[in-house]
Amino acid sequence: MSTSLKTIPKNGRKRWQESRWTSWLIGGFGLLAGWVLLNLVISGKCEGSCVINTLSQTLRTATPIAFAAFCGVMCERAGVTDIGIEGKMLMSAMVGYAVNLFVFQWLQTFMPVQNAANLSRALALVAAVLAALPLSALHAALSINVKTDQIISGTVINILAIGLTGYFYRQFLSTNLPAGPGTFPFYNVPGLASIPIIGPIIFQQKPLTYIMLIALVLIQYVLFFTPWGLRTRAVGEHPRAADTLGINVHRMRWINVLLGGALAGLGGAWFTLEAVDVFNPLMTNGLGFIGLAAMIFGKWTPFGALIGALIFGLGESVTTTLGIFRPDIPSQIPQMLPYLLTIIVLTGVVGRASAPAADGTPYNK
Amino acid sequence: MSENTGSIPRNPSLMMAFIRQIWNSLKLPLLAILTAFVLGAILILITSGSLTTLIQAYEGMIRGAIFKQRGFSESLIATIPYILLSLAVAVGFKSGLFNIGAEGQFYIGAIGAAYAGVAFNGLPAIVLLPLSLLVGAIGGAIWAGIAGLLKAKTGAHEVITTMMMNYISFRLAEFLVSGPLRDPAAGLIQTRSVSLQAELWTLFSIPERLQDPLNALAVAILMAVLVSLLARWFVRSSKDARFTRLSTRRLVYLGSGLVAGVIFFFLLPAFTKIWWPFNDLADRMHIGLFLALGMAVLVWWFMQHTTIGFELRTVGANPNAAKYAGINITRNILVAMGISGGLAGLAGTIEVLGVSSCRCLPLFFSSGYGWDSIGIALLARNDPFGIIASSFLWGAMRNGSDLMELSSGVSKYIISLIQALVLLFVAAPVVVRWIYRLKGDKPTSATPLTRGWGG
Repeated sequence: MSTSLKTIPKNGRKRWQESRWTSWLIGGFGLLAGWVLLNLVISGKCEGSCVINTLSQTLRTATPIAFAAFCGVMCERAGVTDIGIEGKMLMSAMVGYAVNLFVFQWLQTFMPVQNAANLSRALALVAAVLAALPLSALHAALSINVKTDQIISGTVINILAIGLTGYFYRQFLSTNLPAGPGTFPFYNVPGLASIPIIGPIIFQQKPLTYIMLIALVLIQYVLFFTPWGLRTRAVGEHPRAADTLGINVHRMRWINVLLGGALAGLGGAWFTLEAVDVFNPLMTNGLGFIGLAAMIFGKWTPFGALIGALIFGLGESVTTTLGIFRPDIPSQIPQMLPYLLTIIVLTGVVGRASAPAADGTPYNK
Repeated sequence: MSENTGSIPRNPSLMMAFIRQIWNSLKLPLLAILTAFVLGAILILITSGSLTTLIQAYEGMIRGAIFKQRGFSESLIATIPYILLSLAVAVGFKSGLFNIGAEGQFYIGAIGAAYAGVAFNGLPAIVLLPLSLLVGAIGGAIWAGIAGLLKAKTGAHEVITTMMMNYISFRLAEFLVSGPLRDPAAGLIQTRSVSLQAELWTLFSIPERLQDPLNALAVAILMAVLVSLLARWFVRSSKDARFTRLSTRRLVYLGSGLVAGVIFFFLLPAFTKIWWPFNDLADRMHIGLFLALGMAVLVWWFMQHTTIGFELRTVGANPNAAKYAGINITRNILVAMGISGGLAGLAGTIEVLGVSSCRCLPLFFSSGYGWDSIGIALLARNDPFGIIASSFLWGAMRNGSDLMELSSGVSKYIISLIQALVLLFVAAPVVVRWIYRLKGDKPTSATPLTRGWGG
């Protein structure tokens, strides 16, 4: 039933598939970013630690995008399209920030400051993950049970999150703030951190980056090497067949959407618990959507999604480095590049990869 | 002509059925709005903890939206972009496309107007004003058309492409305003103010504007066309035997238009000089409202009464059937995105030419109109006349929220929360039905907007 609808743009798609001009464009972008970096290196402005900083910042900026992409992978492998990632991240960013701030105030009264800071940051991380769950549950209820159009349901979640975070920000988080415990500190992995080059890039990061890398391996393993993953994919590819074999389609989808929400929550926590110690309305800045593009780039696999996220991260960090050494270039121009790249990724790679067959279609028993 | 379903039936029992039909279609949106306001009230109660705050908040909102001095006209001013933007979103929805890039196209339209209004300085208003509007609209149409082209040619999903183009257009506007288009003389970072001739007339300034014969001529031509259209509608719906011959009909259309044009051209300037109801200099209300209302009618006519509109709706309702019937889907996606983006761009031009106090594009030009308009289009179920009503509701809430925040201390973001809740209840009518124990008619199966990102 749903397969017949997928035939519409096939002709158009095939033609563009063969030309593959877009993969050249992506390669071109990578080369451009590399060239800019190289240029800075050659001119002696960015060398040694500057290059390593840029690369480690690449991994850092890729973290929220990767989390968003993982959320997308979890949901869409089970056949639920999720464009509400952005809203969930925004919500988690706010809740994480607020919990971090106010729990710290309370803990400080009866424990040493250092312990209070550590504990409140950990609690804030948990709270951020939990904050994304109600929104995920709403998305699941709307798109799985009520069978609302999933794009509309995702949009509802985005707008709802903008409204909620905006309201609480203006009401409680914009003025008269107490001093908070700040973001997570850097953590050097013992032993590995001292490896030259790789150590500073990968193993001298903040905790959420490590969590992202662990989640990457876990999701890849669970999705492709366990019965659970097989069921998830079955539900996303052919729910009726899965149902015939006794898999509870709705239950599988619910659990996956909630798990995806938790991942988006981690991505949201990155903004206020790892990147900066403030909360702004709309601070997620479209990274949730870029995460979706990274997921598509990675052909709905976690490892591929991370590579997509890293390309965006590279663009961002090279832009920052460029801003330091070449203040004469208007910053807005390089800032457009990640978004342009997202569009290019969509036009090119989507043609060759294919989404889970039942992606975006509700299942009627 | 046999049954005219649009007009009000005379038979009393039919009348009742008509009223019931209207109530049935309004029931869900109205209940959704009510529920959202109640939930908003509960949130205010919980976060502030006092009933007086709640009463002050809602009272302040209503007073600010309507009863405050110039409150009503400010609400109407906010309604204008909402009408155009939600029309843009609705045209997309009806054609099976989800254009969430209205905000970005709004920016492009604003840039276009700010550029044209300055670059073609010196032209008379009769040329410059339409030109500025057109440049912005075409800019928006092209901006959205890119997403349409990508969708048609490569299957890139319009939700992500238009979203990304939003962010690109924000950066582009920032770059242009702070760089190439910046007014070096101004203290703030903004573009040059547009020519006086490019401005949308405020209602207050109409008598003065009409003293220019060219302007009077433009108004007279517009009025002539309107009267002629009205005459056409009247003649077509009348059953009088005198109007059966085509030549007679044409004579009536032409004659009425001509007479009206001549009368308006000679009498209107003098008449408005003697008597004019809008004599408040500070009132910013401008003729953009008529433009927006006119576009609503035009979009309704286009979607319901033209071949292209029919094709668009067919593609939106069932792309397979449309393709099978030989409808060119690529062309339809382009047309739909073009119209959608054009409307959104037009909204942007109005913001520059009629609303911004410097008549220019300032650096921090965040509007949020584009996001809200998605909710309006859904609430109105893509019906142009429903859009006018819902837009006014949104505009009034937006305008009233300032006084609400001032008088009660409740953040004005509560508005977006209430609007999001309305959107939620409209998107999932099951919830409203369940709360109010309504007997549901069968849930209509709409075509899903996405089936995977590849299209």
